[in-house]
Amino acid sequence: MRRFAIGDRVTVRDATTLFHHRTQSYTRGRTGVVVDHRPEWLIPEDEAWQREDGRVEPFYVVRFNQIDLWPDYTGLELDTLESEFAEGWLVPAEGGRR
Amino acid sequence: MHSPSGLDTLQRRVLGLAPQPADRLDSPYWISNESYQALRHVLHDVGGQPDASVPYLDKDEADWELRTYVLCEVLAWRGVWNSEVRRRAENDLGATLYFGLPYYGRWITAAAKTLVDKGLISVSELAARIDAVRARREAGS
Repeated sequence: MRRFAIGDRVTVRDATTLFHHRTQSYTRGRTGVVVDHRPEWLIPEDEAWQREDGRVEPFYVVRFNQIDLWPDYTGLELDTLESEFAEGWLVPAEGGRR
Repeated sequence: MHSPSGLDTLQRRVLGLAPQPADRLDSPYWISNESYQALRHVLHDVGGQPDASVPYLDKDEADWELRTYVLCEVLAWRGVWNSEVRRRAENDLGATLYFGLPYYGRWITAAAKTLVDKGLISVSELAARIDAVRARREAGS
């Protein structure tokens, strides 16, 4: 069962990482919108050590406004960036659905 | 590739003039929390870090690069690793090797190290094979 639907606003957790992860630092604490679902898969933190008993989570494509990612962004306001996240990295954003 | 503005040349010159980092990494007695946080930053997470642009080189893969790609895929097919293990193993090479090697150089080095880590080959076997290939090449040239 997925926690987030397409259109949900989500914030990326600012959690400690060690040795390996796929959650870009520039997305930590940033808020975006779920724009697509990706299949469940072993999370990178377990797949990277080939753990057969690793945690499987649904993945999401999250779209951010570039001006929300970079404090000194000089491009257009409508510029966006999309990246993929395992469910455990996301929490509901303040304000909920768009 | 010729650049009318000379921008590429300028950028390379500026890169060469950039000051070296002031903090010597020489097994210090203590480090600050900020330094520790910077040191344990996962290497491949480079997005957003300031850098100069790199000249775009429109090149095809060399034979060794394609062979490296296929070898790494076959290792995955045989259950030795997966792409995520490879990426982690590249991070584990450390900053000097990670940023010093070409892209597929990272792949093949991570593959060799993983095979040794898993006990599938010994480092001596691998070294002996490298010496044998070098001897063969020198005899042929």
